Amino acid sequence: MKGLGAIYRRELAGLFLSPLAWILLFLVLLYESYFFLLFLGQSGGEVNGALTMLLGGGWPFWYLTFFVPPLLTMRMLSEESRSGLLEFLLTSPVSDAAVVVGKALAATTFLALLWASVPLFGLLVQCLGATPDWGQVGTAWLGASLVSMLLSAVGLVASALTSTPLVAAFLAIVANIALVYLPVLGSALRGSPGSLLGWMLEKVDILAHFQASFLTGALDSAHVVFFLAWTLAALFLSVRLVESRRWLG
Amino acid sequence: MITVSNLSRRFGANLAVDDVSFRLERGEVVGFLGPNGAGKTTTMRMLTGFLPPSAGAVEIDGLDVLARSLEVRSRIGYLPESVPLYREHRVQEMLLFQGRLRGLSRAESKRRAGAVLERVGLAERARSLIGRLSKGQRQRVGLAVALLPDPAVLILDEPTSGLDPLQRIEVRRLVQELSRERTVLVSSHILPEIEAVCPRVIILHKGRIAADGTQAELLATLGQGALRLEARLEGGADGAEAARAALAELAGVQSVDALGAEDGFERFLVHGTGDLGAAVGALAQARGWRLRLLSGERPTLEQLFARIALDLGPVREEGAA
Repeated sequence: MKGLGAIYRRELAGLFLSPLAWILLFLVLLYESYFFLLFLGQSGGEVNGALTMLLGGGWPFWYLTFFVPPLLTMRMLSEESRSGLLEFLLTSPVSDAAVVVGKALAATTFLALLWASVPLFGLLVQCLGATPDWGQVGTAWLGASLVSMLLSAVGLVASALTSTPLVAAFLAIVANIALVYLPVLGSALRGSPGSLLGWMLEKVDILAHFQASFLTGALDSAHVVFFLAWTLAALFLSVRLVESRRWLG
Repeated sequence: MITVSNLSRRFGANLAVDDVSFRLERGEVVGFLGPNGAGKTTTMRMLTGFLPPSAGAVEIDGLDVLARSLEVRSRIGYLPESVPLYREHRVQEMLLFQGRLRGLSRAESKRRAGAVLERVGLAERARSLIGRLSKGQRQRVGLAVALLPDPAVLILDEPTSGLDPLQRIEVRRLVQELSRERTVLVSSHILPEIEAVCPRVIILHKGRIAADGTQAELLATLGQGALRLEARLEGGADGAEAARAALAELAGVQSVDALGAEDGFERFLVHGTGDLGAAVGALAQARGWRLRLLSGERPTLEQLFARIALDLGPVREEGAA
């Protein structure tokens, strides 16, 4: 994919040049430290639990993933299509896929850096004497980054669907909540374990795949592939949507 | 260099470009004229491969724009009408990004960035934030971005819109300079601009080519033009009528329009062929008219454009008749 590196670097630089990214970084740090201290206090000093809770082990993490990736990706295609920058990129000698994937990777990198703040808490705790299980924290961070990649790709689909960033953000937030909650709802509704609906919901159950692998500290390639496959599907869809914009004009 | 054959583009029920064909040879500079909404931008977008045509094909340097899109894109420098730039970046960063997109090395991009900024007269603004530049400066940054890859084909959509007259002259001069080495297609709805820069003009109207040729060829279709005469006559209003009749009888005169009096000077517009000036001058001398003005009015591109835009019929046939 020619030009992928160029797009990726530009998007990442663009994120860090926008005030929104810094505001998000600041708010997320505040949010995380609040829940970290709350959990530590309630669990009586369970450091590992507090760290993994912020990396996919608890709802505070998932609430963040509903809102933060859409806010990063909302402008990436919608606003650029309105300002004509998409026209500039799509008439450059780079493929449509490189444009979309570069943007998704930039958002993923930003989120991975955001989640890297959690191991910093661990480092702080280690200085105070307690030793976190770094293997478990590391795989949880990797998992959190993979989930972020999937949700960034979903955010780009939303951004490709509309030329209004706020509408894109709203669509992506709804999609994220549905993606995470539907299987939870499904497993509650599921009557017989062999039903088709149950089987289908199982195939998109982000939470189950996440908990089965990354939280236990055991890296299972099947679960990594699960996230990569859904990411690719979403990316494919947004590339198609970008292409369809050419046809619609 | 550019071959467009039977190009059409439909947006829903609206036919924006209707069966357009033309060729541009290497090194040719062609002006793309037309009222707003004539299909200029749509055609240009199809040339760059951004919009796929509904029918017809575009070849650039012998390569089909859709089938070998990436190769074609690397040969084209395109400045869209909206002048897309990342406002949060500095001028230099935008140019280096363009270099990376085109697969140039960093050193080469830097060298070219310096050269193109020099060319558009923004060498001292390389470190400025694009968002802080004036509209005219941004327009020139856009031009620099399009020029950076040193493309064989330049497609400029309204490169002078929003510029002040001085900047317009600069951009015009720049396009003239560039045209020595490249094939350039430049659109505008401002006529003097196209007149100054482009030897050949294609006029689009309602998605179709209404005229295509060198300026001289196109103007020839409007006939020879007219002679404007303003003179103080003897005998008041009756004199004006007599003068009109005398003018109409001169050899080569086809018709005479009396435009009425101004400050005591009667004004006429004399249409015809041959050396009208000498004939009218001799008549004035013989009748003792005091001439204030005697000047030939050449047909302008503006008149041709107005005829086409106002649907005053096909000019080419009329010119031939």
